[in-house]
Amino acid sequence: MQMVNALKKGSIYIVLLLALLFFLVPFLILLFNAFKTNAEIIASPFSLPVSISFKNFGLAMDQMKYWSAFSNSAMITFISLTVILICSAMTAHYFVRNKTRMNTMWFLMMVASMIIPFQSIMIPLVSIYGAELGWIQSQPKLTLMFMYVGFGSSLAVFVYHGFIKSIPLELEEAAQIDGCNSIQTFFKIVLPILMPTAVTIGILHVLWIWNDYLLPVLILQNAGSDNYTLPLAIQVFRGSYSSDYERYLPAVVMVVLPIMVVYLFAQRFIIQGVTQGSVK
Amino acid sequence: MKKLSSLMLVLILALVVSACGGNNANNASNANEGTNASTNTGSDSDAKEVKITILNSKSEIHTQMTNAAETFSKAHPNIKVEVISTNQDQSPVEKASALYASGTPATLAMLDAGDIEKFADKALDLSGEKWVAELAQPNEINGKTLAFPFAVEGYGLIYNKEVLDEVAGGAFDPATINTTSALEELLQKIEAAGKTPLYIGSMDWSLGNHFLAIAYAAQPDTDVKGFLEQLKGGSADLVNNATYQGLLDTFDVLKKYNGGKNDPMAVNYEQSTAAVATGSAAITFNGNWLITELLKSNPEGEYGFIPVPVSNDPTTKANSAVAIGATKQMFIDNEKSTEEQQAAAKQFLNWLVYEDAGQQFLVNEANVIPAFKNITLELNGSLAVAINEYNLAGNSIEFAGNFVPGDHWKVLGASMQKYLADVTDRNGLAAEIEDYWKSVQ
Amino acid sequence: MISEKNTVKRIGNQLLFTGPTLLAFIAVIIVPFIYGIYMTFFKWDGISSSMPYVGFNNYEAVFNDTKFWTSVWLTIKYVAASVFLINTVAFLLAYLVTMGIRGQNFFRTAFFSPNLIGGLVLGFIWQFMFNNFFTSIGEKFGWELFSKTWLGNETMAFWALVLVTVWQYAGYMMVIFIAGLMSVPKDILEAATIDGTSGWKQLIHMVLPLMVPSFIVTIFLSLQRGFMVYDVNYALTGGGPFGSTVMASMHVYDKAFQRFDYGVGQAEAFVLFFIVATVTIVQVYLTKRMEVEA
Repeated sequence: MQMVNALKKGSIYIVLLLALLFFLVPFLILLFNAFKTNAEIIASPFSLPVSISFKNFGLAMDQMKYWSAFSNSAMITFISLTVILICSAMTAHYFVRNKTRMNTMWFLMMVASMIIPFQSIMIPLVSIYGAELGWIQSQPKLTLMFMYVGFGSSLAVFVYHGFIKSIPLELEEAAQIDGCNSIQTFFKIVLPILMPTAVTIGILHVLWIWNDYLLPVLILQNAGSDNYTLPLAIQVFRGSYSSDYERYLPAVVMVVLPIMVVYLFAQRFIIQGVTQGSVK
Repeated sequence: MKKLSSLMLVLILALVVSACGGNNANNASNANEGTNASTNTGSDSDAKEVKITILNSKSEIHTQMTNAAETFSKAHPNIKVEVISTNQDQSPVEKASALYASGTPATLAMLDAGDIEKFADKALDLSGEKWVAELAQPNEINGKTLAFPFAVEGYGLIYNKEVLDEVAGGAFDPATINTTSALEELLQKIEAAGKTPLYIGSMDWSLGNHFLAIAYAAQPDTDVKGFLEQLKGGSADLVNNATYQGLLDTFDVLKKYNGGKNDPMAVNYEQSTAAVATGSAAITFNGNWLITELLKSNPEGEYGFIPVPVSNDPTTKANSAVAIGATKQMFIDNEKSTEEQQAAAKQFLNWLVYEDAGQQFLVNEANVIPAFKNITLELNGSLAVAINEYNLAGNSIEFAGNFVPGDHWKVLGASMQKYLADVTDRNGLAAEIEDYWKSVQ
Repeated sequence: MISEKNTVKRIGNQLLFTGPTLLAFIAVIIVPFIYGIYMTFFKWDGISSSMPYVGFNNYEAVFNDTKFWTSVWLTIKYVAASVFLINTVAFLLAYLVTMGIRGQNFFRTAFFSPNLIGGLVLGFIWQFMFNNFFTSIGEKFGWELFSKTWLGNETMAFWALVLVTVWQYAGYMMVIFIAGLMSVPKDILEAATIDGTSGWKQLIHMVLPLMVPSFIVTIFLSLQRGFMVYDVNYALTGGGPFGSTVMASMHVYDKAFQRFDYGVGQAEAFVLFFIVATVTIVQVYLTKRMEVEA
């Protein structure tokens, strides 16, 4: 039995390590090349960097106004995400618990809307909020956050919806007998149970909002470079035919790093959330 | 419940109606001063301050352009200039139309020459500007000067001077290569010297809008527009067209000596350029904008242009001419911009043409070849110098890519790739080209 | 009779719980979408101020646009291959990294890392991989499969797209599966182990049925992402070689912004939406039924 177990464990590790290679190689290439010059990147994209120097990181940082872009990205991501996570959970919960024909219709519409190609609503979207209402000119960042809430809630409602169904109704009924109104029930009983799901949705949405390019370019570009988010700011290094890789790749690494930290942190949270949930 | 759903319905309808109704009034909203005021940094009281935006589609010079805008603002303290650059994710035209849709067009927009006509009804007529007199070539659409030519560019076979001097055993003269067979001899010699003769970059834009377009520009009895009309009308017969066949004869020679011929589709922009820059290969097909990329691998390199021959007759004009044209054009928005903004934009253009700082920016910072006779600064970089020499000597053919539709590079670039990779033959290629043009309205 | 107060309270709750979300949803997606459909009845180049009404002409053009249908068919093949592979790989990875082995957090992070890199960088890296890395491996070991760049061959370029898609999304779906696997009650599995049920049997008979809600989400998401693929298509193959890998989204996009046929492009987007909506609704409906049975 011991032998079998060791064999099994060994083969699991072999599979995992092979997969690891497949998943990490491109990422390592990005990291290695971030420390090279343009000529080195083109001549030998797979070699290790000759020396580790952060000079290009510093130069890239200045040129793209990293900290200004970072705080814009962080603010926009954080606010949109908070609104999405709370409002969508409420909506999904309401949809699950009140299965009227209208609620089902709204739910299906939200699910279906995820299939709309963004390019097909791009021009109507900017002409409504730009040319007609003038929001893009007067409140670019707020408009952008509003749009993220609009685009992001469908997926969030959809994912929450599936998990809320597994929450026993008795819990909520008990709370209501104790005198909680529906709002209190939601925030005290339902939301804590949904935490792991919320973190999962949060990770997916943080990635999307943090890395999103097309929406900010439409909404923020005219507002001047002080309002740029990170993906907009790193465009400084990109030419029409080819890019200034020795600045662009360090910049990409600096865009990716904060997310990586958030992910590592959130992952621990998922595990905690799950164990807490099972204790109750 | 019913009440609520009808309420929602009314809400949606109201939103839809306001949105659609608004669009029809697109032109009427010209007078919407409120919108414009907010673009003008919002300070109405300080009416003298004008803010203009420039849409820059030569994104490789974004930094230089931003610096130029600052220099300009220092000289004109009441004008603030914001530079927006396009990039690989969004075509310049798409960017410009999105900006129009959102009601915030750039005051000055730089687009590819072929796209200006689409914006003709939104562009300010610049025929009365002083610089029109300085244009080396007229730049008119339907009899009006609607755009400011920002850069003159050209393309052909780019060679590494050091390598070819070595092969020639002395100073290499590109004028000696004026037939397809002369080109083949040269390539043979390079190969004999132990170097890779050339790399053909497999980029669709290069093969479609630059290489193939030579066939449109080098026709002996008609100009580009005339030949494109024939193609659209279906009267052009490529299989029996001497220039088309001659150009592909040259292409066959290039294919034969292509350093990447075993896997032609793997040759990309960066690698083909690096090979020529470092001297491991002698030649590649591209334009003078390649200098930025060449300097990345070898900041000391010197380069020149060999024309792409289309026949074995040395007297054929195209055999000693490279394709040259004003590829990037700027127009001033006449739909949403205020008169003050338009005046400021005009001032910026005049600054480029007449002020020393402006000229310095064009020639030494942006590394472009200006389209104006009065700018006599020495050009920066061997490729710009070479193009300018061909241009001044009258050894140029039209940059035919300026006259083709927006998807030409992609559709016919793909067809050229097929020919490059031997997936199709000459007649198959001819059929695809003819079909494409017949589908163009 | 329901009292007046009760109705008011119910409407109040409905507005409170669903109002903000639905408002943003309607304002940002539904209204522009309807406006977009309205635009399919006009001939417009995306720029000009003149926009003549053309009725159903644009839809007629869609049905005659053979290239559009070729791209739709290609997209369907691509979706079939990638949905199957993404979900298989993702579930396998999720299963392996929730077994409680040492370093599983590290593995999770690593498998998820492709999602941290976006758009162009991804295309840039993989182009290098296919053009240089794989070909040099092929040369070294004499492997026919890697002797030429995959991106230069119509069939292999298609599989290159599938491969990169799996690479990109497997980690993403894995996260969703992990959330699902965590909620599988451990005591049931422990009881089964004590009873002597093998791991394999546990997986098929006990874990998989409980994972149906996760599968609904991941299959839906991979279907949706597959049908709407644009980024990878653009950054990796650019529709090449020879225009053989132009997927539906790219075709629609080119139609509107390179051919300047905005009305037809918009109509094609709408037709595409209709097709995908049908497929995904059928998928959600079918899998939901499985959920009930389980």
